[in-house]
Amino acid sequence: MNDTITIQSRKFMTNGLLQLKQMVTDVLQLGKATVPKTEIQEKLAKMYKTTPDVIFGFGLRTHFGGGKTSSFDTSVDYAKKNEPKHRPARHGPYEKKKTSRKQLKEHKNRMNKVRGTAKANVGAGKKK
Amino acid sequence: MEAPRSPEMLESDLTSAVTLLKHLQEQVMAVTAQIQALTKKVQARAYPTEKGLSLLEVKDQLLLMYLMDLTHLILDKASGGSLQGHAAVLRLVEIRTVLEKLRPLDQKLKYQVDKLVKTAATGSLSENDPLRFKPHPCNMMSKLSSEDEEEDEAEEGQSEASGKKSAKGTVKKYVPPRLVPVHYDETEAEREKKRLERAKKRALSSSVIRELKEQYSDAPEEIRDARHPHVTRQSQEDQHRINYEESMMVRLSVSKREKGRRKRASVMSSQLHSLTHFSDISALTGGTPHLDEDQNPVKKRKKIPKKGRKKKGFRRRR
Repeated sequence: MNDTITIQSRKFMTNGLLQLKQMVTDVLQLGKATVPKTEIQEKLAKMYKTTPDVIFGFGLRTHFGGGKTSSFDTSVDYAKKNEPKHRPARHGPYEKKKTSRKQLKEHKNRMNKVRGTAKANVGAGKKK
Repeated sequence: MEAPRSPEMLESDLTSAVTLLKHLQEQVMAVTAQIQALTKKVQARAYPTEKGLSLLEVKDQLLLMYLMDLTHLILDKASGGSLQGHAAVLRLVEIRTVLEKLRPLDQKLKYQVDKLVKTAATGSLSENDPLRFKPHPCNMMSKLSSEDEEEDEAEEGQSEASGKKSAKGTVKKYVPPRLVPVHYDETEAEREKKRLERAKKRALSSSVIRELKEQYSDAPEEIRDARHPHVTRQSQEDQHRINYEESMMVRLSVSKREKGRRKRASVMSSQLHSLTHFSDISALTGGTPHLDEDQNPVKKRKKIPKKGRKKKGFRRRR
């Protein structure tokens, strides 16, 4: 029994709307635990000859009995445009916005009271 | 003229030959007169054939050519020539074969030709012609019609579309039909009856009854081979779920009920339960429902007092 991990990709599609490539990956790992996402990332990068930081995997599910896992993968080629923020965050350092939720809501409520271009000047109220 | 002939035979032969030739001459003159009249009519365009059936026109032309070749041959033979290797013979043979091949086509078009001839003769479609049953907009009922028009419509009889309503006159506001609300009150007896009906239906489709049916019916025995022998409803639903997940690139969550169903399906199919236990057909036979040792007995529904029940928060049982 060989201990190597085999990766096959299925249902490969270039999603023109989101400008990324998406596929379903099947991982065969006999006698091993579930393969972590980083390893899948590296292997896929080698297969498709890109850098591993443009490949994001999610939705890993191991089939009953072990040995096989299927995962969803997207590969973003254009500056990580349309990827939902939590996926790159899982793979690497990601900076979140520092403004708190409460602040954003108060700002919005102040803006709602004013009409037109004055909305841009409402930020002055925030600094008080 | 091999055998020697007596003069009497020659005499009789001569007279018959002369009379025959005279007849021939008379007939030929009559035929020539007729043909000349026909030719004049055709040249005067009394018989236009552009809008006719092309098959009939082809047959006309072929028959005419046949006649021409035949007369050519007769001419040659009558003037003493031999027919050996005559070009007209080959032409005749060709035309004959084509006509033979046209005969099945003729058969197929027989209905159409007959109909056309009848229409040409009578001037209108016959009574049983299905073309008469196409929808006629003038016969359709308008929305503003009164009762009288509806009765007239019923007397129409022939056209199929006579009941169709035509384009509306004025646009009326849609008023939904008002149904009388009925109080829901399912008594215990009704519930029992429904349960019994359902049990009967389930019993009818059990393996025992099905085998009995197959034994006594005249229909041929069906052996379904194509699908996986253990394909169940649950496995089909699983497949559907997998397809959805992969095409939408999302993972769906599994509710408790779904988990229970899956577990039951897998347990049932993995046991050899179905080999030794028949399903319960007591609904049909009228006996008491018997159960296996490991199955739960049928629970009788308790009437829940609705008054004292308070909803403590929102508990969602998925």
